Amino acid sequence: MMCAMTLVRQYARSVLSAKTLLVYSFLLGFLLYMVTPFLIIFFNSFGKGWYGMRWLPQEWTLNWYQWAIEVADIPEIMKNTLVIAGIAVVISTLIALPTGWALGRRHIPGKELLTALILLPRMIPAITFALGVAKIFYGLHLVDTFLGVALAHVALAAPYAILVLSATFESLDERVLEASAVCGASPAQGFFYVILPLILPGILSSIIFTFTTSYNEFTMTLMTYGPHTVTLPVRTYLAVGEGYWEVSSAMAVILIIPSLFILFLIQRQLQPEKLVGGFKGV
Amino acid sequence: MNSFWHKQREGLITLVLLSPGLAGFFGLFFYPMLLTVILSFRPEGREVGWTLAHYARFLGDPAFRDVLGLTFSLAVGATVFSVLLSLPLALVLREKPKGNRLFRLSILLPMMMPHLISALGLLLFWSKRGWANLFLLTVLPFLKEPVAVNYTIPGLILFYVWLFYPYTCLTTLASLEALDRSIEEAAEVAGANRLRVLWHIVLPLIRPGVLAGSVLTFMMAFGAFSVPLVTGGNYRPLSVQIFTQATLYLEWSAASAMAVVMAMAQVTFLTIYMRVLRRPIA
Amino acid sequence: MSDYMIEFVNVTKRYGDIVANEHITLQIKRGELMTLLGPSGCGKTTALRCLTGHNHPDEGRIFIDGQDVTDLPTYKRNLGMVFQNFALFPHMTAFENVEFPLRIRGLSQSERREKVVEALKLVRLEGYGSHFPRQLSGGQQQRIGLARALVYRPSVLLLDEPLSNLDAKLREEMRFEIKDLQVRLGITAVYVTHDQEEALALSDRVAIMNKGRIEQVGTPEEIYERPGSQFVADFIGLSNFLEGTVTAVEGETTYLAVDNLSLGLATTAGARVGQRVLAFVRPNEVELAAPGTMSGPEVLEGVVEKMTYLGDKVDYRLRLGDRLMLRVQSGGTVRFKAGERVAVRLPMERCRVIGGGKA
Repeated sequence: MMCAMTLVRQYARSVLSAKTLLVYSFLLGFLLYMVTPFLIIFFNSFGKGWYGMRWLPQEWTLNWYQWAIEVADIPEIMKNTLVIAGIAVVISTLIALPTGWALGRRHIPGKELLTALILLPRMIPAITFALGVAKIFYGLHLVDTFLGVALAHVALAAPYAILVLSATFESLDERVLEASAVCGASPAQGFFYVILPLILPGILSSIIFTFTTSYNEFTMTLMTYGPHTVTLPVRTYLAVGEGYWEVSSAMAVILIIPSLFILFLIQRQLQPEKLVGGFKGV
Repeated sequence: MNSFWHKQREGLITLVLLSPGLAGFFGLFFYPMLLTVILSFRPEGREVGWTLAHYARFLGDPAFRDVLGLTFSLAVGATVFSVLLSLPLALVLREKPKGNRLFRLSILLPMMMPHLISALGLLLFWSKRGWANLFLLTVLPFLKEPVAVNYTIPGLILFYVWLFYPYTCLTTLASLEALDRSIEEAAEVAGANRLRVLWHIVLPLIRPGVLAGSVLTFMMAFGAFSVPLVTGGNYRPLSVQIFTQATLYLEWSAASAMAVVMAMAQVTFLTIYMRVLRRPIA
Repeated sequence: MSDYMIEFVNVTKRYGDIVANEHITLQIKRGELMTLLGPSGCGKTTALRCLTGHNHPDEGRIFIDGQDVTDLPTYKRNLGMVFQNFALFPHMTAFENVEFPLRIRGLSQSERREKVVEALKLVRLEGYGSHFPRQLSGGQQQRIGLARALVYRPSVLLLDEPLSNLDAKLREEMRFEIKDLQVRLGITAVYVTHDQEEALALSDRVAIMNKGRIEQVGTPEEIYERPGSQFVADFIGLSNFLEGTVTAVEGETTYLAVDNLSLGLATTAGARVGQRVLAFVRPNEVELAAPGTMSGPEVLEGVVEKMTYLGDKVDYRLRLGDRLMLRVQSGGTVRFKAGERVAVRLPMERCRVIGGGKA
């Protein structure tokens, strides 16, 4: 009897470990599935004469980066991208500060509907209104200007900034503000000592996200760019079209840096639900 | 009377605060969209006259019907496989296995990285000489030829799943984690084995969340632009077709008609999504 | 100089059609702890917010230390306040929280340091200055809140349900701590709560509020012993209400017909035959005995409907006559079972008429 029990227990344990093994090979497979595309870009950007059918390149080189810088004029394009992103961040933040305050802290009839409306540009494929934006910008001579491309980006970045800031302002605790007044702080002191430090992280994260939105933006740029306003994503796309895979890979590695930075920030404070919230916000 | 004027004043302040956001919305989204709608009823290249020809052509021409068919099949395929991937993944991750954070972070990769780069990486990874085929040829001895993935419809669906499953997976995971464990324990006490608990208790309870996530994935797949632009080859879903029609054939009115149809479809999906989401989770 | 630290004079506050405070008039003496007690929605919080300046009364004036503060903004009123949800500044350490009011008042760094250390010592949290609010327990957070409210020696300390977010044991502990501090510092305090036990234990005087009005103001003893209305008697402690008509007044004893029973009460001034009267008696003041062992006008007979054992006492529900139900709590050794007949004595001096009864 005892013997049988032990056998059963051993069997159960082996099944259990087999299950664990299965689970982990599934997870490992999944991880590889997610990461390999980026790994292969990375290797491709440093590999020489690596035409595949091998796990790794045989020789390493910085040639493709050199090409990207010298031939594809990446420094100039980087400048365009950063200037455009800067303008887009400033405009989006200036729009989002008052609007987010109103949405987060003031009584508005039909607030939900209004929020949904403001988020609509992020829910609908950009290409559907990029045509109209391009048409209008041609008329206003905004196409192929920094301001024009940046404004096109604002269409996508501002809703996100409004969402983040209204959530930030909404989470400001009324009682804490009251407490500062009871402690003797005038409205101005209350703002600088209490409100500002509490909302600064929200404003910062809004800026980071709008910056990344603009930096990575592709569709709206494609409809409004010109020879003087080529951005990094557009240049990468053109390089892929030209068939220079290695140079495209090198550009991609440069392009990916801000996104990696954000991923790093998120990793420190992992709340993926909040990310979906950008779309769930309606 | 006093309170009446007070209310008027408060309302005015709210409106002033909201105005930058509203200006952005109307100037960069609503007006362009309106212009697109108007343009879609204009004869090609002219500012006067009205016509339904573009819609008639779009919905009547078999070639264009194929575009719609392709767009839907890609979106449906991506959604189905996303659910199939998300369910086991979420169930496993719910148990918080070792490396939980890393796995969760990797789910975010497709959402955080520029789609353009993901597209490039996927093309490199799945190419005939890429790692995927290298692996398959190594482990599957009966495979003599590398598998063609890039620029095929199954390949596109594969890419779409990689790109858009996180929406399904994160909502599934969130609803799983919102589940009260004691419900499952009660079912187990009542005599149900793990599989039955999963089938009769867990799945019905998380269904609204999975459904909401699938609609999100569907919407994303339906509206995808940069990925099919780079990886689609000869297959052009609606968004790419709009772009090509406008910039290559310079048929802006025809492109506008397609854009209007696409926007309307997306708003419909959005409404469905909001209905699904609003349904109280049991 | 006024005798009163705080005065509400005829304060009325409306929210739309709802009258949250109706003609509140209340004087609070120097060094006194006054509790505003009442069920939720009775207007106690509104009254407190009028005092802090977060609400502006529609009518009436409010004075602090003889000064009319009705139109003074909150930050100029020199108040200290402890909040229900603590309301600590989440981005500041405990030390910085306590230091904040001093910084606002422009004290030098060394002065601030000295006072903060002293205040932290006062609430027995010397070692916790560098902790952030989220790293502290509920009780510790509330003590920091207390230190922040006291560090600048405000003229008045306000406490808005400061214990309701704490667990029962901590609540009792903190209650004594707050009372002790208030007495030691001799500060005038206004305490808002819905917990009658807390109010009775802490207060010098209690103002009982109901539906935006003050029902009664008095010491805890007065409120408990001589409630001015049925609401007060009902809200504070357990009460049996006996409503009846005066049938006869014979010297010291007034006879009351309750249902079909006759009950003798101590005569109060102005009692006359035919008057409707509401009397009340606390369940623990009623005496029980075996039938026939007691006699007198204040003795009735009844049947035990239900007996519940509560450890240190026994809770009985008795039926007197046909309909009259009486709740009795007795620590007596004699126990009665359900269905048994008992004699019930409602001691004349404990069975009181409320405010002359209803007309």
